[in-house]
Amino acid sequence: MVFNSLTFVVFFACVLVLYNLPLGWTARKVNLLLASYLFYAAWNPPFVILLWVSTVVDWYAAQGLVKAQRQSARHAWMLLSVVANLGMLGYFKYGQFLLDNFTSMLNAMGVAYQPAHADIVLPVGISFYTFATMSYTLDVYLRRAAPARNLLDYALFVTFFPHLVAGPIMRPTELVPQFAEPRRANADQLRFGLALMTLGLFNKVVLADSFLASVAEKVYDSDKIPGALDAWAATLAFSGQIFCDFAGYSTTAIGAALCLGFAMPDNFRFPYAAVGFSDFWRRWHITLSSWLRDYLYIPLGGNRHGEGRTYVALMGTMLLGGLWHGANWTFVVWGGLHGFYLGVERALRKRFTNFRPGPIALILLGLLTYALINLTWVFFRAKTFGKAWVVLNGMFGLNALAKPILSSFYLISVALIVGGIVTTHWYMRARTLESVVARAHPAAIASVWALLAFAIVIAQGSGNAFIYFQF
Amino acid sequence: MTTHAETAVADARDVPMAEDEYARQTASDRPGVAQPVPERPVPNQPWTRITVGAIVLFVLLLGSWEAYWRSYGATPGTRNSEGLWAIQRRRIDNGEGDATVLLGSSRVYFDVQLPVWEKLAGKRPIQLAIEGTTPLGMLEDLAADQNFHGRLLVGVAPQVFFSGFAYRGRVLPYSRTESPAQRVGQWLSMHSVERVFAFFDPDFALATVLRRQAWPELPGRPAHMDVRKLAVTEADRATHIWEKVENDTDYREITRSVWRKEFVPGEDDPPRAKRDEKSKEQIARAVKAVAALRARGVPVLFVRPPSSGPFLEYENRNWPRAQTWDALLAATGAPGIHFEDYPEMQGMELPEWSHLTRADAERYTAALYTVIARDFWPERK
Repeated sequence: MVFNSLTFVVFFACVLVLYNLPLGWTARKVNLLLASYLFYAAWNPPFVILLWVSTVVDWYAAQGLVKAQRQSARHAWMLLSVVANLGMLGYFKYGQFLLDNFTSMLNAMGVAYQPAHADIVLPVGISFYTFATMSYTLDVYLRRAAPARNLLDYALFVTFFPHLVAGPIMRPTELVPQFAEPRRANADQLRFGLALMTLGLFNKVVLADSFLASVAEKVYDSDKIPGALDAWAATLAFSGQIFCDFAGYSTTAIGAALCLGFAMPDNFRFPYAAVGFSDFWRRWHITLSSWLRDYLYIPLGGNRHGEGRTYVALMGTMLLGGLWHGANWTFVVWGGLHGFYLGVERALRKRFTNFRPGPIALILLGLLTYALINLTWVFFRAKTFGKAWVVLNGMFGLNALAKPILSSFYLISVALIVGGIVTTHWYMRARTLESVVARAHPAAIASVWALLAFAIVIAQGSGNAFIYFQF
Repeated sequence: MTTHAETAVADARDVPMAEDEYARQTASDRPGVAQPVPERPVPNQPWTRITVGAIVLFVLLLGSWEAYWRSYGATPGTRNSEGLWAIQRRRIDNGEGDATVLLGSSRVYFDVQLPVWEKLAGKRPIQLAIEGTTPLGMLEDLAADQNFHGRLLVGVAPQVFFSGFAYRGRVLPYSRTESPAQRVGQWLSMHSVERVFAFFDPDFALATVLRRQAWPELPGRPAHMDVRKLAVTEADRATHIWEKVENDTDYREITRSVWRKEFVPGEDDPPRAKRDEKSKEQIARAVKAVAALRARGVPVLFVRPPSSGPFLEYENRNWPRAQTWDALLAATGAPGIHFEDYPEMQGMELPEWSHLTRADAERYTAALYTVIARDFWPERK
């Protein structure tokens, strides 16, 4: 089920009641585990089996790793986990993509081959929970962490519903220790958790779904050729939509966990105020970028084997990071562009080691970063390269046949909302939400909270799935 | 992505957060190590007072919003959602495969009154017509569904049917992929908020309300107005025109002005030849689906409900009867009831030229059913 649904409201109310019953800690954890399975099964019940497979394989792989005496045996247990998880991911997420590419390759070679459409349904959240369970085995393999003490705690780490389908991608060391001792949210945690959920849902239901999504759709999903204004408006709208959608999910998830007394990590830190691309990736989808860094970039050599190898590792990581988002070459190009940006930035930093921008230069560099990130969003949002080129041409004023697509209402909403998002990110760049809330007048907090909740209700969202569910 | 060395270097990107008492590291600050249990501090505030204040203000705001829409003429009612359509579609696969099914767009949806039909036929039909959407997708769906062996009435609104326009085309794939959570959500919605709140209607959603304000028009962009709320629906999709369209002259004028904009030829309109080609494509689809249904013994009856005034002129101008309606019947071999051919279906009142008043919808349904029972499906009572 999705957070932005009536079903979730009732589900969450039941979970809060059950969790706070005067039961033993194990019974309460079992309640949480069963609720999490129900949360997942509410999409497509048979796919719970995949969740179990991922859970059981990594549990036993970690046990095997601890007991293994020889390095080869440790390798084997680690590989079992990686192959099982990536195998599931590969089949369900990339099976059709690989088949299509294989077919295209054969056809290009003159071999007439047309396989039946595989019609594979993508299990929701598979990219997230396979990465979470792999981090468990890999941390044990790398001797960074001890395995969980019991299967219940481990299964709950994998399945805990706030992070299950769209992150933040949690590491076992972040969550499993929280299951060791009885835990309940105090009154302030519960209220602040609810406020965070309201903020997250406002981002998703009001900003992303009600206002920004339709602007991007009108340009990206239409046959019309956009001019500069429409192409930029739609791309800026998508930049706002994807932030509000995904950061909204993360904030709601963090709030839901806090209502139960659990802490989840930050996943976004006002990324549209980033200056440079390494800064962007320290602020955007932090739990994925750090996962890729720890389990892909560093094992690929990181920056330990000379400049050339560093660039290769950087580009390889970003290309695979792009592919993680979806089985389409447009995502690979999106990742490749980020890899290219990171490489150029790294080269510039080496060339201009003493450069320290002043306040104006900082803002200009930040805006340049945001503009270049918007160019990457074109490949992320467009379903085909053809569409991406049409929009890019529009952004650079090269579409001679363009006719106006967006009405003034859409243009004004994008200007206000995306302008508001970027301004907020710059204001919050070196602050935390908590510090701003702590300094605000209680009446102002209550008013903002009520207005956000009111806007969510009157927006009447139709329970649209979060964008990242498809990844 | 940052490297070990890069994260260790403080530079102009990293504005210090030392003055922020809630500042904390994230995984991006700790490369290559086990990540610790996260920090999740709660800001120091009187949260009880804040929560109470927020709830009171929220209730006041919501109460005012609800009062506004009630004063506008809205009442709580069933939402014409994809989930509601899916409930009706499931009936065919859950033991009601022999039912009479109504397909079409808004005219069959608003104008065929289920209670009147039930009174005459003894059984209520399943209403699967949906506004602004060609019924061809649903026709093909039923043609492929071996569970269906009832009777089929297919509404034809020329500008929708022959153009293949499918404003709510998503209902069909939605009904096939609806998750258990969505089914529960539909049930909860129908049994809670829809019964209580008049504002809970897509036409009164925040973005919709803001979008239809008088924003400045841009040069070169054709003016467009979204269709406004026209009908009210009940739990089994029995629907009739909204009283406000009938009784409020200002609102009726708004609904007419929406149609008027549609009547003006636009730059994006397809050329005549393309439109004719599209019509032929739709007829070819219908031929195939009707043949499959009739081969299974399912009678199919096309119905052209009334339209009037400028709307009828617009339809006749762009989709002339001979090339559309007559061609459809000839190609499919299925019978049809065109309102112009029956005196008892004349003289109806259509406040915005496209849909009947509630009273005339009842009169039309009675006339339609009488003709059907007499001339087409005589054995059914």
